[in-house]
Amino acid sequence: MTGPARSRRFAAPRVRTTSGAALGVRRIRWTLALFAVIVLATVGKLVEIQVLNADAYAESGIRQRARTVDLPATRGRVYDRDGDVLATSVQSAAIYADPRAFRPTETPDGTEVPAAADPARVAAELAPVLDADPAKLEQHLDDESHFVYLGRQLDHEVGERVRELELPGIGVIAEPERVYPAGELAAQIVGFTGIDGEGLQGLEARYDPVLAGSPGMLVFERAPGGLDIASGVRELVPPEAGTDLVLSIDREIQYVAEQAAASALEEFDAAGATVVVQEVATGEMLAMASAPGFDPNLRDGDEGNAKWRNRAVTDVFEPGSTQKALTVAAALEEQTVESTSTLEVPDNLEVSGKRFTDAVRHDTETWTVAEIMERSSNVGTIKMAQELGDARLEEYLRDFGYGRPSGLGFPGEADGLLMPHESWWGTSLPTIAIGHGVGVTLAQLTTSYATLANDGRVVTPSLVRGTVGEDGRLTPANAPDERQVVSPETAREIQAMLERAVSGEDGTGALAQVEGYRVAGKTGTARKPAEGERGYSNEYVATFTGFAPADDPRLVVGVMVDEPTPYFGGLVAAPVFSEVMEAALRARRIPADTSGQDLTVAMDTARQRVVEELATAAVLAELGLEHEAPGSLPVGSPAGGDGASVIDVDEADDADEVDGADEADEADGAEDPAGGPAEAGTGSEATDAEASGQAADEQGADDP
Amino acid sequence: MDLGYGQDREQRMMRDRVQTRWQSAYAPVRHLDPVLVLTALALTGIGLVAIYSAKHVALSSQDLPTTLYVTRQLIAMIIGIVAMVVAAVVDYRHIRTYAPVLYAIGLVLLVLTLTPLGTEINGSQRWLVLGGFQLQPSELVKLAVLVSIAAILHESQGKPHIGFITLSLAITLVPTGLVFLQPDLGTSVVFIWLTAVLFLIGGVQVRYLVGLLAAGVGAIVAAFQAGLIEAYQLSRLTAFVNAGDASAAQTAAFQTRQSLIAVGSGQFAGKGLLEGTQTSLSYVPENHTDFVFTVIAEELGFLGASLVLGLFLILVWRGLRIAILSKDLFGTLVASGVVAVLTLQVFVNVGMTVGIMPVTGLPLPFISYGGTSLIVWFAMVGLLLNVHMRRF
Repeated sequence: MTGPARSRRFAAPRVRTTSGAALGVRRIRWTLALFAVIVLATVGKLVEIQVLNADAYAESGIRQRARTVDLPATRGRVYDRDGDVLATSVQSAAIYADPRAFRPTETPDGTEVPAAADPARVAAELAPVLDADPAKLEQHLDDESHFVYLGRQLDHEVGERVRELELPGIGVIAEPERVYPAGELAAQIVGFTGIDGEGLQGLEARYDPVLAGSPGMLVFERAPGGLDIASGVRELVPPEAGTDLVLSIDREIQYVAEQAAASALEEFDAAGATVVVQEVATGEMLAMASAPGFDPNLRDGDEGNAKWRNRAVTDVFEPGSTQKALTVAAALEEQTVESTSTLEVPDNLEVSGKRFTDAVRHDTETWTVAEIMERSSNVGTIKMAQELGDARLEEYLRDFGYGRPSGLGFPGEADGLLMPHESWWGTSLPTIAIGHGVGVTLAQLTTSYATLANDGRVVTPSLVRGTVGEDGRLTPANAPDERQVVSPETAREIQAMLERAVSGEDGTGALAQVEGYRVAGKTGTARKPAEGERGYSNEYVATFTGFAPADDPRLVVGVMVDEPTPYFGGLVAAPVFSEVMEAALRARRIPADTSGQDLTVAMDTARQRVVEELATAAVLAELGLEHEAPGSLPVGSPAGGDGASVIDVDEADDADEVDGADEADEADGAEDPAGGPAEAGTGSEATDAEASGQAADEQGADDP
Repeated sequence: MDLGYGQDREQRMMRDRVQTRWQSAYAPVRHLDPVLVLTALALTGIGLVAIYSAKHVALSSQDLPTTLYVTRQLIAMIIGIVAMVVAAVVDYRHIRTYAPVLYAIGLVLLVLTLTPLGTEINGSQRWLVLGGFQLQPSELVKLAVLVSIAAILHESQGKPHIGFITLSLAITLVPTGLVFLQPDLGTSVVFIWLTAVLFLIGGVQVRYLVGLLAAGVGAIVAAFQAGLIEAYQLSRLTAFVNAGDASAAQTAAFQTRQSLIAVGSGQFAGKGLLEGTQTSLSYVPENHTDFVFTVIAEELGFLGASLVLGLFLILVWRGLRIAILSKDLFGTLVASGVVAVLTLQVFVNVGMTVGIMPVTGLPLPFISYGGTSLIVWFAMVGLLLNVHMRRF
């Protein structure tokens, strides 16, 4: 095949190397250094980008790429204790526009993108569906932003119709809208949410984290220019529905309480009326009614409004005579008096240079403790308190819940006011003993009566029975704290006395009677501290707190009417109590404990007596006023209603201030807050609940 | 006689057999460089995957077949393999002989791109459309310039006198100027670089090299002074420095920034094939051609990027080895010229994607989408094989 010639041809070049090639090979080495530098630079930079700083680059990639859409979680419902819906969410539509679709743009690499549509045409098509002005819509479409709402919380059908129009640059988002099927019912308790579903007031605010659930997230990949979503969904975090809330509120009782509060408001031309119904054994609030009320579905704006306040927890007032039951309970518990012991009770008593009088003039009598309670004698109560002393009175009042959070944890809740006894001065003890110079909320007052009704054992009040999660099961709220304040014996003695205060011959709460049930309770009337100045105003707070059935108390009802005319607790608050208590007892199916004796006659008689004695009291008050303390008016219920509390309490308070100033500046300073926040609470409509609560807290903190 | 004849015949046959074995041992076909060929094929394969990944989303959104570019690149690869075989089979000494012809053809085609026959894409007139196939003559001219200068320097046998040097300069500067007019700055730089490396290895005396370097620097300064380089070109060249600044609105800076994000977000191990979001969503422009490296870096991470760079290093190693083994200066020059162009293009291209080089339109050899480039690169591999096979 191949001859020698051929092989020679192959063999020949083998040995031939030119000097040029050798030089070339030498010079190749020179280039190697250059190659090495190049390779090192490139790899080094690559390490920097991909290994050392990779996270930062990855991050900025995600940032420019991801388009996140929040998926709202379904907000939990709010139920009453029987499962009736108080607040729920329905699907509504929000219409938005991407104004970029209506002007020509350019992608980063310079490609022209024409406008997707003519804004005028789109606006004209949308206007009738949205029931909006086309010119205004067009203005929105010309916005410089990427996103603009054209309408929110619209009906679901509106959203569907917009979707059907298939307009470029216009989108529909399903968003939840909060509705309150019960309207005004329990509105101050439930509160409401803002347009984005965030809890703003009441339990909606308090339990926002529970109700809100956690919103989901939809992450799209976004191509440059941001207009089209090229590869669709990258990540979906489904929303987690909120937890439902079951309240302790009984819708039926709440309704009655609200009606009663509203009619009291009207009948007595009052600034406000509050009713609390509480279950004795559990401390659960069955109703918390505040008048005037509002309908959360129709409220306009998110700005503060006095009607939104849950007055039962935000408004602080002086309990007046209703507190005597607590003072006496403390005295009995400490055995400074026996229930059967008798006291010499004159109709006036001078303490630290100030004269305290009973509402009704009487000769110096020898009364039992029960009689003192029945007649609501200031002098008798003060005498018992003097035996007890500052420290023990304060301790008991605090144990009953004065001056500390009730445990409801309601937003804007006030702690009430009770100065530490170290800051008390001469007239403090007698003043506080009869419920003045201290401030409580109606919830606190009601809870203290529930403690007496519960044989001396306080159960922390609650508004929420539990939560219902996705499994549909009720998770009960934490069991309430309980603690013994006074012995069952003491409590029962007080229960009996309070029953006499309603049904006794000289009882001040006659109008509180309920047909078929034996009722125990106590009236109270207190002057409101003056706004923005020292002393007291000419406005009053009428209260009644009591429980039934008297021998086995199941329910407590507290009533507070703010600035009523007339202002006597026995006349104003007691009938409200009677009405609410009766309905509540029936609603809770609590068996009647007395034969079906018709109360109509008895009630009429009682009313008659109250009105008569009222007139007498007024005359007496005038007399007292002229004769004892010019410029001041009596505080407390008048002779008829509240047999006792009296002409002089306010005078005493006025005097306190003078004395306080003499004694010690800080004492004086401490007295003032006692009036200040109380006034803020019950007073001006302009002050919102939150502010009042804060004010009270701050003041409380200042006290020591 | 019979025996004698037979003995003689036997001995002759044995001698022949030994000779044949020796001959066949030196037969060119037995001296292919499989490492070189396989590396080139591997890079091309990676390129096909990267091109598919870069474009499938964009193509499907335009209702085009997702394999459109891949198919075209495959056809180019087949033509390229044919070109490689041709470039390997024809003894390179013949190629040396025909270098002027090759150069002439390349130059004519290059001039044609600047006539109305040329096609303009992205503001640069680089292409000739021949029967549906876009030809980029500047790629062919690379080959022609390489062979031509190597031939001239080979003639001077390591001691080129000034006449040869001048001729070589003319040969390179004419196409450099034409390419610069397209404008294609990157390819112009390739020509200059190629010539410089060939001069160095071709034995041009150091004093001439220094002189040319000085002249080159002077020319660049003069070009700036005379305003031959336009502001936008300059800003394009410097924009990459500011790429980290998000506010940099210039297109070039935008490209570099997007490229950096793509490369960086690949991190160490990459996002996985076809998972690259930055590139497939067209954040990175030209991600199947000039910025194809970002696709690899994003989807295969530092590991993939290193693999590609490693494969290029293998090519460089095989190329330099061939240059050293070559039996004559022409072979050494051709091989080292190929390595020089390869190194420059890889460095400029990858450097551009990682922000250490300006954004210039230089494709990544074997990987970037572009038929002419791929074919020419395979032809260059063919030349390397040619030199390697005939090194004895």
